[in-house]
Formats: sequence, structure tokens, C-alpha cells
Amino acid sequence: MFSIMEFISLKNVSLKSKICLLEGLGFKTDGEFVLDKNGNKVLDKYLEIPIKIDNMVILPGSTIILDDNEFSLSKYIEEYGDFA
Amino acid sequence: MGTSLEGNSNSPIEDAAKGITKGFLEWSSKAIADYINKLKNKELAFIQDEKTIKLVREIYNAGEVKFYDTYINDKELLFLAKMGITLRRLEENDEKDKLMNLRDKIYRQYDVNGLHIAQFVQNGILNRYIGILIERMTTLDKFQEDLLDLLQNIDKYVLFVEGLSRTRDMIQKAVTIVNAHNPSIFIVSGIGPAAEIVRESEDRLKEFLREYDLEKMSSGKKEILFFKKVLSF
Repeated sequence: MFSIMEFISLKNVSLKSKICLLEGLGFKTDGEFVLDKNGNKVLDKYLEIPIKIDNMVILPGSTIILDDNEFSLSKYIEEYGDFA
Repeated sequence: MGTSLEGNSNSPIEDAAKGITKGFLEWSSKAIADYINKLKNKELAFIQDEKTIKLVREIYNAGEVKFYDTYINDKELLFLAKMGITLRRLEENDEKDKLMNLRDKIYRQYDVNGLHIAQFVQNGILNRYIGILIERMTTLDKFQEDLLDLLQNIDKYVLFVEGLSRTRDMIQKAVTIVNAHNPSIFIVSGIGPAAEIVRESEDRLKEFLREYDLEKMSSGKKEILFFKKVLSF
């Protein structure tokens, strides 16, 4: 069955909820950057830059966390296809 | 200070919508578990600015991209063309910070050559170039070959004039490129402060490039000269 993906903005979500969300996905934060379970900064896979918790997007596909910008989102679509 | 909406409704999404007007959202553990489940089922994505994802998706579905998709058989060049359209949209929307930010990212990932390709698309030069190629097209294969050659060797076909260039140096550079590569179409592109330099140089360039016809794309902050080699039949 065809389904349309839902988008939820993290812009107005509290830091506490974002931390809980990250923990539920196996990540954590130092309050500024997204960290992996070993405490290393998670890098945007297309730009290789650390991802700030205030600018992260979390996308399907083995849980992809990226920096919110047109370049990375375009690369994501190239790799995984459109969101619909 | 956070505003807890936990327990206000049965739908976390409804809670989210309400929270926008009340301050920062607090999600319940159940809501987070539901979201994670949906994410894993590819039913949901967490974003920041809705405009960003909307713009990217619009571009991927635009007719212009579908056209490029058909004729540019190189994944990286095609991606740069898409970035060029994105730059153009950001410019049209007057989103200067995002525009500069994206330019910087393209430059860092693809160097000056990649940025030139994206800007070539951003400024509508590729579309006019394609128009000229079509006017002169003999076969579709040759058209595709020429298009790919242009994008792979953009600096043999286009002089991107910088705002601090001296007119004399710019003319010398144009003549050097034309003498070295003998392009059938040669473009001089001046954007922003460089537009005036290109305008000032037009007459001198015409003198040097007598084997070419001139066509212009001209506006206040853009001056683009297309020198088209005169065809002999």
C-alpha cells in the first residue's frame, strides 16, 4: 500500500525530548553535538561535519542523522530516493 | 521553560501541533517510542526547517531536472546541476545566508570547478547554452557528447570573471582560452560586481573574437556574453 511519509519538525521540541529521542536511537549528546554511543561526534555522512543537536535531521534508512541543509538532504535523496 | 503536553491527547502529532503555540514541546516516553517505531518503518522523518526539505523535494521533481536527467549521463555532474537549480531558487527567494552556505558546501566538496558548474546552472547559462546547441544540433548523440564535454571541461568554454579582475587581464585571459581550445561556443560570465567589467570589455572582446557572433544575457547584476562561432556551410 502506498503511504506518504510524515515530517515532524524538531525546531520547537525541548532539548530533553531530543535527548530522549537520540537515546532511543542509540545516540547521545554533549548538549551541543550529536554523539555516538562511544561519545564520538557523529558526522554528517555527506559533508563530514559534526552535527549540532539544534540542526539535526533524523531520516529513515538505518537511522541517518544529518545536518539540516540542502546539500545533505539532496545527497540523501540521491542515495535513498524521495521521502514519499 | 518547557511546556509539558503529556497526556493532553491520544495523538503525539496532535500534541506536537498544539505545542508550537505554547513553547517547547515535551514528548512523552510513549510518543518517542511511537515516533522511533514509525521512523524505523520509514513512515516518519524528523526535520528542522520544513522549507528546506520542501525546496529539495520540489527541485528533484522539477521538469528542468528531468530534462537534465535525460541528457547528462554523469551522476556527479547531474548532482551539481541540481545544486545549481537550488542556488537559483534560494537567490529568487532572497535567502542570502542559505545561498552562501550552500555555495560554501559545494565549493568544499567539489572545489572551484564544481562551484562553477553549479553557478553556470544557477544563472541560467546552461539552459541558453543548451538552446544554442539545439539550434546547431546534427544528432542527439553529438548534442549529449557536447553537453557532457562542456560540463567536464567547463573552464575551456567559460570565463567566470571575478569582481576584482582588471579589464585588461580579463580580456587577455579570454583570448588565451579561445586560442588554446578553439571552442564553438565561448562564454564570458560576469555576475555582481563582475557584470560591469564584462560590459566594459564587450567591444574589445568583439574585436578579438571576430570569428564569433555575439549574443547577450543582460540584466542589472548579470552580464553574460555568448560568443558563437560563425558556422560556414
